[in-house]
Amino acid sequence: MSTTTKDKRSAARMLGRLVRRAETGSFLGMVVVYIFFAALGGRVFLGAPGFSSWLNTAAEVGIVALAVGLLIIAGELDLSVGSVIPASSLTVAIVSSHYGAPEIIGILAGLVVGLMVGFVNGFLVTRTSIPSLIVTIGTMFGVMGLTLGFTVLIAGSTGVFIVPDPVTKALLGQFVGGMFQVTMFWWAAFIVIVFYLLHVSPYGNWIYALGGDRESARNAGIPTRKLTIGLFMLSGFAAAFVGVGQVLTYQSAQVLTGQAFIFNSIMCVVIGGVLLTGGAGSVIGIVLGTLTFSIVNQGIFFSGLDPNIGSVIIGALLLIAVLSNDSFRKTALSFAAKKAP
Amino acid sequence: MNLTKILLGAGTAALVAGTAMAADVFVIGGKPDDPFWSIVKRGAEDAGIVAESQGGSVTWLGPQNYDNLGVDAAELIRQAIDQGADAVVGPNWVPEAMDPAFQAVVDAGIPLVIYNAGGIEAADRLGAMNYVGSNDYKGGVAAGEYLGNAGNLKGVCINTLPGAANIEAFCNGFIEGITNVGGEGSVLPLPATSFGSATAVAQAVRAHLLQNPDIDAVFTIGNVDSNSAVSGIAQAGKTGQVKVCGMNFDESILNNIKNGSQACAIDQQGYHQGYLAVSILNGFVNYGLTVPTREILTGPGVIDASTVDATLAGVKAGTR
Repeated sequence: MSTTTKDKRSAARMLGRLVRRAETGSFLGMVVVYIFFAALGGRVFLGAPGFSSWLNTAAEVGIVALAVGLLIIAGELDLSVGSVIPASSLTVAIVSSHYGAPEIIGILAGLVVGLMVGFVNGFLVTRTSIPSLIVTIGTMFGVMGLTLGFTVLIAGSTGVFIVPDPVTKALLGQFVGGMFQVTMFWWAAFIVIVFYLLHVSPYGNWIYALGGDRESARNAGIPTRKLTIGLFMLSGFAAAFVGVGQVLTYQSAQVLTGQAFIFNSIMCVVIGGVLLTGGAGSVIGIVLGTLTFSIVNQGIFFSGLDPNIGSVIIGALLLIAVLSNDSFRKTALSFAAKKAP
Repeated sequence: MNLTKILLGAGTAALVAGTAMAADVFVIGGKPDDPFWSIVKRGAEDAGIVAESQGGSVTWLGPQNYDNLGVDAAELIRQAIDQGADAVVGPNWVPEAMDPAFQAVVDAGIPLVIYNAGGIEAADRLGAMNYVGSNDYKGGVAAGEYLGNAGNLKGVCINTLPGAANIEAFCNGFIEGITNVGGEGSVLPLPATSFGSATAVAQAVRAHLLQNPDIDAVFTIGNVDSNSAVSGIAQAGKTGQVKVCGMNFDESILNNIKNGSQACAIDQQGYHQGYLAVSILNGFVNYGLTVPTREILTGPGVIDASTVDATLAGVKAGTR
């Protein structure tokens, strides 16, 4: 056979493999949503202000979604992220502003709070038979109460303010070009790290195995307990990181924040094609899901659609995304790849 | 008088009987971790120091979240009755859901003061002793007129909690106020996914300003949102061009007023809402004292660059 037909065949095979990838559905969904809002939003939405608008939103929820996504792939859920965010924000503000410690100490303390909550979550999930949904609802309320209690006790009010020094502000709380929040570069770093974890390092296969069948995973010699605790600590860390970024960006930490991240992060993960039952999903998918979610969330304000029905559009998007991911996956699986000649 | 109720409260009967005349005041309010409500609570508790010295008590009942505000608050009112309240203080947030519960308080012969939301109309309708609070509508009007008089005549109200009666009144008042001085106003309701996320609110404000470049006045319904709006305006590159006025304030908002990035804040003086409402009821239950003035307004008061310094001390003390 001639070389050209061979090339054509291998190109077709590559295309076939690409189409069968689970992310393709998420990617197409994102494109459709973007075109929809671009048509309604016009030039402002297509320009830098539009881009930065949904990228800023995506970056914060995206960092949490990556870590929560790994947990969901491993068959667990983490709702405590919603209260870890204000807990770490307030830790930074209280340590560095109220007590006047160097900012790096405050930031480290904030991150440690996240790691600790993650450890408690992981410990409770692995040592008891309570589902992680319930465990993390418990720790969510626990952390919420502790945050409120300690903040009122120490600072005497429910909001603490901080004026970060220029270097810290530039690293974690700045708007590049007046509109691009630096958080999005940190998000990029998180994407690279989590991509390596899930798709390159051996931990990736362990995580999939954990979500697929915990018993078999343990029998195969995977240290399931350590891995689960590690994943919960990662999601606690990610949430705390977002909290640190928020307090340095808005220069104030309030007890009443972060709750929106609980459902938003799960939505991003699910729109990205991750199975809520665990065992399947990818980092690219989670990133695409996050972008889709943010485009819809911000697109509403550019589109001239009645903002009163904004929540309806977001809810409908989630259902449509899950349905199309599902049918896409089935279609992809039912067409077997052609054997190579 | 109180005897039947005392007998009904079987578990605590002995305890209560000893202080039969003292007022056990139940206060229904917001989440204690809400920046504004923690100040109202502080006022109620400070008035409670007097109540306690006279043998009574003050109990704060707040919902766990605001997902089902009207129904949850109505439930708290009934809880107060069940726990043998001698007097009840409550906000009339969602009249449709809460009026029957307030009616039950009045029917049980328990003195009632409506505070924070509802206005004197609600107090009259329900047969409450008095209304203590700012007039929500007038608060919005004050902001609209302030911004309009400053020359910013195209305004938008950022509604992060669509559906609550007092928030709708803020926004409607704002539109009325800015219209009064020759401008025009609109409302931007945000979806539930942005509640409690400063970034989401900031980005929404920014997107709306970019899409509607003629808007030069923003009104926000709470102090957390004001900070977000200031950030959103900066990101839209419109600092100085678009002025912000918001309900309530905190330290960072006062600093923003001081440095000029926020024009004004509307103060409903939450501390006085809690403090006065509890004091009135405590005096009435214990000694039959009444306050002939009906509709005790604690606001709106406008804080701008000229009055900001005087307010900072109260913030430090946790009472403003």
